[in-house]
Amino acid sequence: MVIADELAAPTRLMGGSGSSRPKFKFDKSILGLLPLFLFLGYFLLYPIASIISASIHDNKHHLTFVLYKNLFTGNYREAFIGSFKLAFYSMIVSGILGALICWSVVKTSGVVRTITSSAAGVLANTGGVPLAFMFIAAFGQEGLITKLLLKVFHWDLYGGSFDLYNFWGILLVYCFFQIPLMVIIFTPALENLRVEWIEANESLGGSKLQYFRHVLIPVLLPSFFSACLLLFASAFSAFATAAAMSNGSIPLAPLFIGNLVNGNVIPDQANQGDAMAMGMIIVSLFVIAAYLLLLRVTRKR
Amino acid sequence: MRKQFVFGVVAAISVALLPAVSAQSASADTNWATCTDIASCGGMGALVKAAQAEGSLNITTVLRNWADYGDAIDSYQAAFGIHINDDNPDGGSSYEIKSIQTAPAPSQPDVVDIGASHIQQAMTGSTTGGSLFAPYKVVTWNDIPSLWKDSAGYWFGNYSGQIVIGYDAKLKVHPTKIKDFTNPAFKKVVGIAGDPTGAQEALISVMAATVANGGTFNNVQKGFDFYHGLKKSGNLSGATADSTHIATGNPKLWLDYSFNALGTEQLGAQIGKTINYVKPSDAAVMGTPYIFGINATAPHPAAARLWVEFLMSENKGHLAKDLAGDEASMVTAGTLDGGKLFNSLMGGQNIFQLGGAVPINIAAMKAKKLLVPSPTTIFQSNPAADKLTLQQPTVAQQATATALLTKLWPTL
Amino acid sequence: MKRQFTWLDKTIIAFAGFFFIAPLIAAAEYSARGYGNKGHTLSNYSWIIHQLGFSPALWTSLRIAAITILIVLVLMVPTVVYVHLGGRKYRRLVEILCLLPIVIPVVSLAIGAQVAMPKSLQSTSYELCFFYVVVAMPYVYRTLDIGLQSVSLSTLVEASHSLGANWIKTLLMVIIPAIRSSTTGALFITFALSLGEYTLAVLLHFHTFPTWATNASQQNIYGSIAISVTTLGGAWILLILVAFLPRIKSLFARKERVA
Repeated sequence: MVIADELAAPTRLMGGSGSSRPKFKFDKSILGLLPLFLFLGYFLLYPIASIISASIHDNKHHLTFVLYKNLFTGNYREAFIGSFKLAFYSMIVSGILGALICWSVVKTSGVVRTITSSAAGVLANTGGVPLAFMFIAAFGQEGLITKLLLKVFHWDLYGGSFDLYNFWGILLVYCFFQIPLMVIIFTPALENLRVEWIEANESLGGSKLQYFRHVLIPVLLPSFFSACLLLFASAFSAFATAAAMSNGSIPLAPLFIGNLVNGNVIPDQANQGDAMAMGMIIVSLFVIAAYLLLLRVTRKR
Repeated sequence: MRKQFVFGVVAAISVALLPAVSAQSASADTNWATCTDIASCGGMGALVKAAQAEGSLNITTVLRNWADYGDAIDSYQAAFGIHINDDNPDGGSSYEIKSIQTAPAPSQPDVVDIGASHIQQAMTGSTTGGSLFAPYKVVTWNDIPSLWKDSAGYWFGNYSGQIVIGYDAKLKVHPTKIKDFTNPAFKKVVGIAGDPTGAQEALISVMAATVANGGTFNNVQKGFDFYHGLKKSGNLSGATADSTHIATGNPKLWLDYSFNALGTEQLGAQIGKTINYVKPSDAAVMGTPYIFGINATAPHPAAARLWVEFLMSENKGHLAKDLAGDEASMVTAGTLDGGKLFNSLMGGQNIFQLGGAVPINIAAMKAKKLLVPSPTTIFQSNPAADKLTLQQPTVAQQATATALLTKLWPTL
Repeated sequence: MKRQFTWLDKTIIAFAGFFFIAPLIAAAEYSARGYGNKGHTLSNYSWIIHQLGFSPALWTSLRIAAITILIVLVLMVPTVVYVHLGGRKYRRLVEILCLLPIVIPVVSLAIGAQVAMPKSLQSTSYELCFFYVVVAMPYVYRTLDIGLQSVSLSTLVEASHSLGANWIKTLLMVIIPAIRSSTTGALFITFALSLGEYTLAVLLHFHTFPTWATNASQQNIYGSIAISVTTLGGAWILLILVAFLPRIKSLFARKERVA
């Protein structure tokens, strides 16, 4: 990628030119980013390095990777799988619904557009106890909407197996901040759909279905997938909302970390909690890397 | 000319203040950070004066509704004029210990109230592998059961809670024993106070369920099976039994510490729900007590010691807001002697009792007739439950249960 | 195929609107209930103002928010402008870096900060400003990036230089006004975040408005819900106002011209 190109430049010069150029070419233009590098290096990377360091030491300060090995066994594994499942399904549901809503929103303009885009910005950042409470106040057993549905439509939301606190209920709550996030990310892709392509398709004699299959889908699919990956990363690391919505009967990684780092029962396992947190970060990093790779494919178009 | 005038005024004021300053430094001879008991440090009057000089107290992870800490905090603040900073009310014992180890000195908690499972970690948690706490034996030291105090004074128990049933009075069937939770009428609404591997209350609830189903503290398998059955039958709610969820209607019945009853009932009053508590008739289980430790690097060592003395005091007295007549006016004027003031206040052990907790000194207080009557309005009457003798697990039994549940709980 | 706004679109947006508004309305209704769930009252919203410590806590958070905004202005705006001008080849690198904070849980950042940061920094609540900048970075970068994409930056800069302005003047008087709405948006996101952030403040043992408010509303559930509704609803209303500001301004300008 970009970094690799930059690193290659000096060696090229060193190997080949044979002119009176200096042996090592330092690309001064990167100095413009020095403030950002220094800031993030000190306030983001340095604290994380401390966590990495804690996660590879046991309580006696000996270097060990056993805390990471533990993540693949027993209940830690269950927690990761649980979080993975929740993030995956949330990504699919929010991705599809978000894309549909985005399609309609992009066609609006003016007042409606401003209201929806500012709403998306605010909603995408909600989480934790406030979000959980809002949802329960609306759709809980004594919720406003639940009562309304019963009174007006005679539809008992809780008559069947609907439950806000099982896997699918938590997924519903996740949608509340995932769908706006999807709308925010996907809007630029939809706006870039050029009218000329529509006209080109028509002038070549293609039908709407052909337009759909041969133009729309190939153009949008990479953006869609890359947006979904970002949704996955966001759902996977959602701490506060998972804690507010679950009492532990569904195994989720953030809850485990909370028990180890801030709990009242298991003592002296903070390092294991750090290893779990690093495990989550690593998974999210892989997903973001895939997202950026896909984005490259999209940009080329 | 003007400069000289100002200088003169400043000098005059400094001279006027000098006696006060030197008087302060004379009484500050005692290093309160190394004080191990009140008798050898000048008595209660000196302790109160030193604590007032420090001016504030840092505590952590204290909820006002927990064991009636709210009344204790208000009484201490009003009586002594010492401001209490409560950091992170929702935190747990691991957070408290981490705070002592990593927080900058002025932000560290002066006193911590941790679960018994964390004693070992605290006793070996300093940078030299020693205790994070400073040894200190309160006035009522001899009344603390020897099982729940460190012989050198590093830590000591303060209160525990009995596991009781809380429920919404609107339920058609009112539960009176833990085994009632399996009733099909309670579909989806049976709660648990959290994850037993994270919340001590949930862990002791599982232990209580074990006893209710004929088991012992040594093996909580029966308790796990009970909750597993509740999940399979659809009775178990996925919501934690905390104030947010109780306030919104799910869960409608749960196991709770007796000292949370009063606060939850008041919450119910605010939101228009009648919440009842009752002692179960199939298990009388008390949790392991919570443990006090004074931070060895406490930023306010005198205020810290005054706080634990206050909370371990067995005095009947009055809460600061209920002090009447001469005492009240003397408190406002600041002329009441520290020792007299302390003795006129209701001690923390009785405040815990009023809050529904079981104070650690309860046996001695009953013998000395210092215990205030237990509150009758908090719990519904259940004569069968009152006949049972309270059982309490040991720290070792709690550790065994934790290990078992850590393996089993994800399979719930 | 002109992309018309059909009934299907209207239905989709209506359903979506309902799904997202309903929880907010439900929470607002809950927070406006009277004691004992009898009737409704707005006193739950004004209650917090009368609690001991309201002003100092709010003032602390406002100060922190101000410094955070300052850091964002000084650090992020020039950086993103630079990436769009001379540092185009570093665009991808900066994008990765600014996305990193999404991946790092705030809890981990707090734990790491306690171990890594020097004690002198940890003793002041302004330490939070730096971490709030980190947490806000993905959203700030995105907003500024999109804003700069829609401006022909190099043309503006060339014109400004040819008229004799140096870099600082160009930045302050040409570039920032050109991307005013995205800068305002970015600063607003930073402000909202600084004022409402709880986890980092509490884990680092600082007393800000959110930590104080949580503490003060322990025994008043209506009050604490009122606070979160105010935060969310207030943020949304302010964001809409900010977006409509240019429209309102031009409305006044037109009226003046007519008059």
